[in-house]
Amino acid sequence: MISTFLKHELKAFWRSKNTGKNIAVRIVMAILILYLLASVAYIGFVLDDILKQKLPHNELVPFFCGIILVYFLAEFFSRLQLQELPTLRVQPYLQLPIKRNTIVGYLALTALFSVFNLWPIVLFFPFIFKVILHDAGLVTALAFIVSILGITILNNYLALYIKRKANLNGWIFLIAAAVMILIGLSDFKWHIISIRNISYLFFGHLITYPVLALVPILLGVAMYFLNFAYLKKNLYLEELSTKKDKYKSSTEYPILSYFGSTGDLVANEIKLVLRNKRPRSALIMSLFFLLYGLFFYPNPALRNNEAFKIFVGMFMTGIFIINYGQFMFSWQASHFDGLMVSKVNFADFLRGKYLLFTASSTLAFLLTIPYVYFGWRVLLIHFIMYLWNMGVTVNIVLYFANRNAKRIDLSKGASFNWEGVGATQLMLSFLLLLPPLIIYIPFKYFGYTDLGLAVIGAIGLTGTLTRGFWIKFLEADFYKRKFTILEGFRNK
Amino acid sequence: MIQIKELKKVYSGVIVVNIPQLEIKKGESVGLVGNNGAGKTTLFRMILDLIRPEAGEVLSNNEPVAGHEHWKNYTASYLDEGFLIDYLTPEEYFYFIGGLHQQTRAHVDDFLASYADFFNGEILKRGKYIRDLSKGNQTKVGIASCMLQNPELLMLDEPFANIDPTTQFRLKNMIKEANCTGVTTLVSSHDLNHITDVCDRILLMEKGKIIKDIATSSSTLAELEAYFAIGDAFEPSASAELKIDPEENH
Repeated sequence: MISTFLKHELKAFWRSKNTGKNIAVRIVMAILILYLLASVAYIGFVLDDILKQKLPHNELVPFFCGIILVYFLAEFFSRLQLQELPTLRVQPYLQLPIKRNTIVGYLALTALFSVFNLWPIVLFFPFIFKVILHDAGLVTALAFIVSILGITILNNYLALYIKRKANLNGWIFLIAAAVMILIGLSDFKWHIISIRNISYLFFGHLITYPVLALVPILLGVAMYFLNFAYLKKNLYLEELSTKKDKYKSSTEYPILSYFGSTGDLVANEIKLVLRNKRPRSALIMSLFFLLYGLFFYPNPALRNNEAFKIFVGMFMTGIFIINYGQFMFSWQASHFDGLMVSKVNFADFLRGKYLLFTASSTLAFLLTIPYVYFGWRVLLIHFIMYLWNMGVTVNIVLYFANRNAKRIDLSKGASFNWEGVGATQLMLSFLLLLPPLIIYIPFKYFGYTDLGLAVIGAIGLTGTLTRGFWIKFLEADFYKRKFTILEGFRNK
Repeated sequence: MIQIKELKKVYSGVIVVNIPQLEIKKGESVGLVGNNGAGKTTLFRMILDLIRPEAGEVLSNNEPVAGHEHWKNYTASYLDEGFLIDYLTPEEYFYFIGGLHQQTRAHVDDFLASYADFFNGEILKRGKYIRDLSKGNQTKVGIASCMLQNPELLMLDEPFANIDPTTQFRLKNMIKEANCTGVTTLVSSHDLNHITDVCDRILLMEKGKIIKDIATSSSTLAELEAYFAIGDAFEPSASAELKIDPEENH
């Protein structure tokens, strides 16, 4: 039965309507992952040499024992954010004569096929073979291997369990993340506890009592069954889809009514962002990026590097345009047919986009004003990049929106969700970030930095003032591609 | 109202719509019937300028729909859930559609009040987004939003499919009433009873072609049933069915 499920999933992948485009993305991903894996394997392989250079030989094994748990804590934290929940679309199988245990067992077992489960093997096993096998013998080495596999399994299922719970209640994720951060802080910042000592306490004793290896493996198996039981208990359609019965009230934004039907469209789009998981994550990410300056501006090495400030300023004032805009009009794919037949003038539709982006960018600029702490010039650069985003970035984003015909499923989460991402989008990100630098760098080279900034600002301002022209241009451009876009959006 | 000339649509080598000539006059009520794959929805989509025909054109009020937007002012349509903005509450959606036609909120509220029976208390003020409604209730939202637009041309694709019997009867009356006030209606359905009841003219489609164009009369239903019924073409299978009957009735 499990092989049938696997076959079905393979078919679902190959027969999905945008497989061709998906494969390109997946190949890029696979190369990235292989590269990472190779790097980690290299580190794992030379770990003993690195440690030997820093430590006397008799501290080698204790240090190794100490870092294992630290690694697993960090791994757990990244699992919480990045690991995907295995999903078989169980709905079509539930009413068929297939045992529930088979379905649940499949869901629970395939969870092991995650790249995350390879890291610890690649990272720690070479050291075990090279040092521990040599120093402490076969039994201890086996005990180490079994323990590490046990903790990997435990980590795997604990992360999935928390993610599943968090799917139903978002607070659980925040609480889990806060606990992880607190544990991290109480070791590395406050020095209340020492994870390395705890780790050594266990793995150190493992050398003398190899039987202890059973503890992590038992914990891992217990966690597997907890997951199994949880899934089995919740194998009802209502609960699998994460609908909540909260009362959804109607909202209106009185300010937007000044803008007529354009305002109505913007109101709808704001609701789109706030009421769907993926665009909401894009928005929250944008807010997070507003802190970008804090990472770079205090750095003395970058203090006088204005090209860098242009980059950061552009990012902070325009991140929502880049982040949300690069999937234009895919967000609205599910009701694009409806928009096309209703009495919406496409020029108004575009004006709505401009209004939304203007508002978001203005808000971002206002929020970055406190960066004036790092000098008035920072604020000036932010303002110039704000003009640039208003006049240029917006037009580029909308130009590429006319070339994007991929449907987006609004309800899915954003991290590691490549749906709707393709070569066009990747190209777009570069195209957006490069031009201001290309303009600025020659001026800087000849020593006219102020003039360089002025030119960027002037181009931005010109773009803003000629908006009417761009709207006409984009409208005509859209009608050339309308049917391709519509057909793409209808492809589920 | 609508003129179709030499309209043709091809999907991967198969002609799915091929209509040399068709005219629908103002005020007519037209029903579209045909088995799955006959090309009904594709025809609807081409009339609404949602897919590009391989050849030919559709004129609405003597103006091609392709490249023009004037028809949107007087055309209301509901083909599937893709026409609804699913993350809005029904109220928000109605206000949005009303706003597009310069209707005040009070006007929309009045309109909605008159649809209380049709909605059966399951649409308004239930605290649900449209995506959380059942398919039948989504259809109701779509139909009501069409009516809200006071259209001159009303196009519904299988509106009877997901709604309960009571609503089906209400909907039939709504379409007839609209037609009495001069609205041109174009409705597709698999329910031959309903469609012959509602429409004055029936178009029967088969493999992309309109093979029958009949003015509804007392004999139309029988005529359509004769077309769709299986087994009539060759008698032996009908008699075979009769032979099996007694066995099944053990």
